[in-house]
Amino acid sequence: MIRECKKVLKPFVLGLLWLLALLWPLLGIHPDGTLSFANAFQVWLYIAAVAFVCVFLYVLNKSGNLDFAARPAAVLRDRVSEAAGRIPSKAWIGLLLGFALIYPQITGRYEQDVAINVLIYVCLGLGLNIVIGLAGMLDLGYIAFYGVGAYSYALLNTNFGISFWFSLPFAAVLAAIAGCIIGYPTLRMRGDYLAIVTLGFGEIVRLILNNWMTLTNGPNGILGIDPPSFYFLSFDGGLSFEHLYLKKLHYLYYIALFLAVFTIIAVRRLNFSRIGRAWESIREDETAAELMGVNTFLLKLLAYAMGAVFAGLAGAFFSARMRFVSPESFTFLESALVLAMVVLGGMASIPGIILGVMALIVLPEVFREFELYRMLAVGGAMTVMMVFKPRGLIPAKRVGTRSEEKEG
Amino acid sequence: MEYFIQQLINGITLGGVYALIALGYTMVYGVIQLINFAHGEFFAAGGYMGVILLAYMTGAGYLETHPFLCIAGAGVLTMAYTAFLAMGVERMAYKPLRYASRLSLLVSALGMSIFLSNGLMLTQGVFDKPYPSELTHGGFEIGPISVGYLQLIIVGMTAVLLVGLNILVFKTRIGMAMRATAQDKIMSSLVSISSNRIIALTFAIGAGLAACAGMMTGFYYGSVRYDMGFVPGIKAFAAAVLGGIGNITGAMLGGVIIGMVEVFGAAYISGQYKDVFAFIIMIAVLYFKPTGIMGENVDDTRV
Amino acid sequence: MRKRLLTMLVLGLILVPFAVSPAAAKTLKIGSMSPLTGPYAADGNDIKNGTLTAIEIFEEEGGIPGFDKIELYPQDTACDPKQAVAAANKLLNLEVVGVIGAYCSSSTIPASETLAEEDIPMITPASTNEQVTERGLPYMFRMCGRDDDQSKVAVQFIQESLNADSIFIVDDKTTYSQGLADGVEKECEKAGIKVLGRDHVNQGDKDFSALLTKAKSTGADVFYMSMQNHATGSLMTIQAKRLGLDAQILTQDANMHPNFIKVAKDAAEGVMVTFGYVDESTPEYKKYAKKFSAKYGEIGAYGTYAYDAATVLLKAIKESGSTDPEDIKAEIMKMDFQGASKMVKFRPNGDSGSNYIVFVIKNGEYVKYWDPAKGKL
Repeated sequence: MIRECKKVLKPFVLGLLWLLALLWPLLGIHPDGTLSFANAFQVWLYIAAVAFVCVFLYVLNKSGNLDFAARPAAVLRDRVSEAAGRIPSKAWIGLLLGFALIYPQITGRYEQDVAINVLIYVCLGLGLNIVIGLAGMLDLGYIAFYGVGAYSYALLNTNFGISFWFSLPFAAVLAAIAGCIIGYPTLRMRGDYLAIVTLGFGEIVRLILNNWMTLTNGPNGILGIDPPSFYFLSFDGGLSFEHLYLKKLHYLYYIALFLAVFTIIAVRRLNFSRIGRAWESIREDETAAELMGVNTFLLKLLAYAMGAVFAGLAGAFFSARMRFVSPESFTFLESALVLAMVVLGGMASIPGIILGVMALIVLPEVFREFELYRMLAVGGAMTVMMVFKPRGLIPAKRVGTRSEEKEG
Repeated sequence: MEYFIQQLINGITLGGVYALIALGYTMVYGVIQLINFAHGEFFAAGGYMGVILLAYMTGAGYLETHPFLCIAGAGVLTMAYTAFLAMGVERMAYKPLRYASRLSLLVSALGMSIFLSNGLMLTQGVFDKPYPSELTHGGFEIGPISVGYLQLIIVGMTAVLLVGLNILVFKTRIGMAMRATAQDKIMSSLVSISSNRIIALTFAIGAGLAACAGMMTGFYYGSVRYDMGFVPGIKAFAAAVLGGIGNITGAMLGGVIIGMVEVFGAAYISGQYKDVFAFIIMIAVLYFKPTGIMGENVDDTRV
Repeated sequence: MRKRLLTMLVLGLILVPFAVSPAAAKTLKIGSMSPLTGPYAADGNDIKNGTLTAIEIFEEEGGIPGFDKIELYPQDTACDPKQAVAAANKLLNLEVVGVIGAYCSSSTIPASETLAEEDIPMITPASTNEQVTERGLPYMFRMCGRDDDQSKVAVQFIQESLNADSIFIVDDKTTYSQGLADGVEKECEKAGIKVLGRDHVNQGDKDFSALLTKAKSTGADVFYMSMQNHATGSLMTIQAKRLGLDAQILTQDANMHPNFIKVAKDAAEGVMVTFGYVDESTPEYKKYAKKFSAKYGEIGAYGTYAYDAATVLLKAIKESGSTDPEDIKAEIMKMDFQGASKMVKFRPNGDSGSNYIVFVIKNGEYVKYWDPAKGKL
């Protein structure tokens, strides 16, 4: 244990001193010409205490002192998963699905609202996963496709009265076209330039949505969008179609659930198909893939388009649910959040992404009192995860290994 | 005609600010191929540190008695503070990932950017912090064109810093070490150039320049806000890429171009789309000449 | 794989014990929606505190028969439409009988649609966009003024007091600021004032030199600045004065904020602002001011409006003896009394009328300058 202590002591102390030196000027120099140390010291002590506890636990764990608790816990976990393993995974999925189906019956409006958000972001995360996780292209303007989908349904509905279900394919196609338009010029660029160019495109789309008054009504957004509806036969007074609007929140929940399940199944099938393998080969080594006969250009474009399709579907649902869209919902920060969900949960891993989405949506709601620190925590978590667990909380299972990449 | 010249002056001033930030971006990218999203936050931190120090000096009465000394002192302290911040960020968030995939580095940088700007918001509040303004409002007129003293100072300082940086990079041994590390990290470490030290130094210099730009922005516009780093950061990166990443003169040129495009776009077309113009120019240049106007200068061992 | 599913199941189950426990019987529950975090937090907190003050004074004066206490559930919208809708859903979950809020028009409009699904009355103390009450929602009311009234007053002021005949208009492309700027443009054209330029900036912009040079070159008499955030307004004012813009700067109620003067300093001298008039000599205002400043410090304008809005809601519940929205609405329509901010009397569409006047910044303070009815003050 002493050895581990010594190893972490120097960086730990240096880090804390650095933090103090940075924190004090921000908190301790006052505009009335006085210098104070109390406030800065207090904040610093808080942070130092928390950091100390974390590092202490880490050292204990590393040196084996916690084995008296850790080993039985590990044994218990193995035993439980072994027992659980005897039940086929299909049953687990069935159980989860059943839980998801009865969820609205046992919870109130607010929880359903949170759950709907989770499901929408699951669609977004899985779509972004196709671009980043499978094809390996960093897209920072992903939210633009979400916006395109949302506005397509909004415009089609308010101008032409087309209902939600008929607009879904339009939203998907328009988003895919947007994906191709944005993807085309960027495909010649290197990885980092791709990031900044997609970011630029995302901002351009948002600025156009905000400023093109005649088409999108600018910052006022589009009001009065119809919710999803069903026609069904009604027999009183002759055969006619009755238009039933699904305004109640749990109907919206089921539609969101349907979209999310559809996305999960679609992404899973894509992942294990020829196209998915081609994408993975492009991600691993583009030149080699090109040499092996993979049409990288077309496949990269396809990756963009497919990712955009799922975002478009999610966007159409978003505008049907809020019944109001405005450009403020499609900022770069949203893109960064979706990226954080994908990265934190585990790239290219579907349960990982679902976990990432839940962590980033449910946890802030639970810790509402610490609302102010929410983005701080997200930013810090992104960096910490990349440094310590770059493959995410639930990493994807890889077919084969790479020699360069170290574990963890 | 006067309208055009006045807008030209506006454009050059804005371009100078972007150029200073772009220099930091380009230098960092040259050595470790990282788009340091947090660079915009160094700019903001510099602006904040400047106003904190200046407000303190105003309150303690030093500013009235020795104005130039105070401003110069505040400038130096701010640059030192931001350099210190940058070196720490590099050590914690980027060094462990130096040989990991590009994506991890970028996400880590994005995370640091969000973390730093929120840290500024939590410690300094959400409202604008005003700069002491007695020194900022002067100017003189050449006919119908008005030129502010501050505009001259900004352009002048940018030019001075550019020349200084050129001398550092091309005429000194440290500069040669920096160029060597940018060209090939592994080989240069074989000839006993410590890449860790050089990278830390690059970060420090880049952040110092950004801090200088932050202070000048604070003086020029009159206030700083916690989120002021994000958009100038992106535009400065666009400028660096436009001029050729890793290339110092290119960053300067790119900064001025983006500043002019923005101002003239707002002057002759419309103020609401000026960001769009800047991005479109960047995308167009990257499409037709992916290495930028003046060519790249990066470590070629990493593809 | 199974370990993962187990983890996910456990996490999913954590979602379930979310339901808020039902409150003790006989508590009257009211909700408030305002930005408690973010750049508008000061005004948002004023709204929350104004509502709390109203509840306190009401309970001191006897409360509402049939209820033991009145409880406020404040929600944070952060001026984000998504969060506003989530907050509205949360309040519906909590089964509040009325909502005071929100602040930004872009949040109030979607949130009111959500609340309208369950017929919960909503009174906004700060959203000035016309659309808020023009949509025909039956239980939507407004305590503050409206933007079309504000633009009319601004143009009347330009004509009568400034005697100007040309104007340059700028806005920052938000629902509120652009709506107001459009209104001013329309009224100017009706009044024969030449609109020499109409331009936009984006939120978060810092450099307005190009725009201001353009404005200066047109030689307009008046420069109308319509901003969502006073931070942008103060930056623009500084640059305008530095560039030597001679036009009279006229701006709107968002720039009525102490931080505007703090940042713009001497550049702010002479800037004129339209804002709602609050008569501070009425006994109602004095009662409110005493209670508010004792607990919460400096009085912000929106706190006063929120106080009146909450008082209206509570009074309506007391007078009608029920929490049914139709009864509340009937009572609200009958109201005609002096509130802390103005005379409270509602029109059929839910508006309560505006009373905008013009302030000028003199010696670093906002001073009342001109009233549309009385002229110069």
